[in-house]
Amino acid sequence: MEILKSNRNVFWEALIITIFIFGIGVLIGIAVENRRGVEISELYIEAELQMLDLNIQSEIFNLKNISCGRMVRDNIKFGDRIFEEALLLKDYEDSQTLTNALEQQHRKYDLLRTLFWINSIKIKKECPGNFHTVVYIYNYRAGMNEKAKQKVFSDYLSELKNKKGDKIILIPIAGDLNLFSTQSLIEEYQISSLPVVIVDEKEKFYGIEELYKISSLTD
Amino acid sequence: MINFVSAVYLVLMFIALYFFFFYIILIIRNRDMLFYYPKPERNYSISVLVPAYNEESAIEKTVEHIFNSDYKNIAEVIVINDGSKDRTGEIAEKLKKKYKKLKVINKKNSGKADSLNQALKIAKGELIAITDADSFPEKESIRKLAGFFNDEKVAAVTSAVFIRNRENFLTSIQQIEYIILAWTRKLLDFIEAVYVTNGPLSIYRKSALREVRGFDTTTVTEDIDVTWNLLKHGYKTKMCLDAFVTTNAPTKFRAWWRQRERWGIGGIQAIIKYRNVFLKKGMLGFFVIPFVSLSILLSMGVFIFSLYLVLKAFISTYLTAHYSYIAETPFLRMQDINLNPTILIFFTAVLFITSFIYTRYILANLSGKRNEWHEVRNIFKRLFYLLIYLAFYPLVWFTSIYRMIKGDYRW
Repeated sequence: MEILKSNRNVFWEALIITIFIFGIGVLIGIAVENRRGVEISELYIEAELQMLDLNIQSEIFNLKNISCGRMVRDNIKFGDRIFEEALLLKDYEDSQTLTNALEQQHRKYDLLRTLFWINSIKIKKECPGNFHTVVYIYNYRAGMNEKAKQKVFSDYLSELKNKKGDKIILIPIAGDLNLFSTQSLIEEYQISSLPVVIVDEKEKFYGIEELYKISSLTD
Repeated sequence: MINFVSAVYLVLMFIALYFFFFYIILIIRNRDMLFYYPKPERNYSISVLVPAYNEESAIEKTVEHIFNSDYKNIAEVIVINDGSKDRTGEIAEKLKKKYKKLKVINKKNSGKADSLNQALKIAKGELIAITDADSFPEKESIRKLAGFFNDEKVAAVTSAVFIRNRENFLTSIQQIEYIILAWTRKLLDFIEAVYVTNGPLSIYRKSALREVRGFDTTTVTEDIDVTWNLLKHGYKTKMCLDAFVTTNAPTKFRAWWRQRERWGIGGIQAIIKYRNVFLKKGMLGFFVIPFVSLSILLSMGVFIFSLYLVLKAFISTYLTAHYSYIAETPFLRMQDINLNPTILIFFTAVLFITSFIYTRYILANLSGKRNEWHEVRNIFKRLFYLLIYLAFYPLVWFTSIYRMIKGDYRW
């Protein structure tokens, strides 16, 4: 009888152990996701500093004529950096299940990338013919069909960046994260739907079948 | 905010983890009692009933195995020939010359439950052992089971089934399944929740069987029904992990499916029949019915959830391939490999590895006891059992429910 009584405690004991182990698992998961958030945050701070540096650099250019080559080179270098970080952020976001700590980081990066785009436009005006800007505006919260379409957009543009190297600056920006600046740009460029690729602030491409045209425009 | 898929996943993980710890605690707490069987305090007289339908190839061996038992007080063996169309009856009649305690009832085909009820009316033994006509109890099995009846409240004791015809892959996988079933049943014995006394070899207290009016002829699995009925009447049901019986398992997939559908329908019939005691009446209401119901619902739920994920992945892959083709971009790239696993993948991996080790532990304990180490060592079969074989369970539940709705009880 005593044995049975103690065996019946197994229902509660198993529950307590499960809550404990499961809780530890979930906490580890949250800690891992938060660590990734911290990593992205640190990268962002560094990128923000560089962006500020680039901004000041263009202001100095307005006051004093410094070398176009240097400014373009630094701008492209920064573009490559934030593109790499965008890929890392995407990987981390794909692995995120317990928290949404990265969404805020994404919004901050989007602001930074928008700022970078504006800076690139300025530099292009001062130092024309050095590089092309390819801005890819997509939906952060996409359905299945849209996601598949955006993956192909993203793959195509990544390949293009690999092929063209310093000739293009690729700037991916989420268009649906409720940021005033991106909304203004979407209105300014009369963008009717997402995803869209804007090449040199002139040409807009909405369809997958048109993507091949970007390559010739960025030669 | 956590999304729906992740939430479902975590809930399933929690339940799986709960049952894993539930069994582990039972093992740790009762490790010295796993193979325990009490010595019979009295020499209980036992009538062995052998319901037989078209069993000409096995009936002689079955009877021989029963009479070879080392239990000294087998009062009689009653073969109930349930209108067999082959030579079962004839063979059984001939065996009467060899075995004086053998009786044969020849009757029109009316099913196993009715055959048992008819034999029960004339059985002389205090205990009733029932063995399927294609099942061979081992020499000491009946003796090991009999001791459990020292406890007046015990009404049924069941044994561990091993598969005899391990002639192909399907039967050897079923062997793994039977071992795990036996092991789990023993663990449930420690909380007095043995919810099925198997057909190959179980012993019942005759007075208890008569009290519950024998076997229900309207259900397709009389063994599940009678066990639940005994539990409902306040009796205990036990399991002896050290009493073995060998039987034949389906060798073809279709026959296997049919058998599982029958078990599935029987389980659902029992849930419906005993629904009134849900969360009432001892272990039957508080554990057995919720446990069996939850197992069925979870099995089907996991299947639907997995199907949803697979379909989603398939449609997504198709769409990506379609758009990649239009854009003339590569469909798969090295960059697509994400080396940052989600916590859910981590949980799944941990659970799978522990299940794999746990299965190995069970096989080592039971197969090892019978010196059948090839079962233990075969990693491929264990992987197949965990990843493929178990995935068929929910499908069987679906078809069982469908057949029940249609009223199709043909076998």
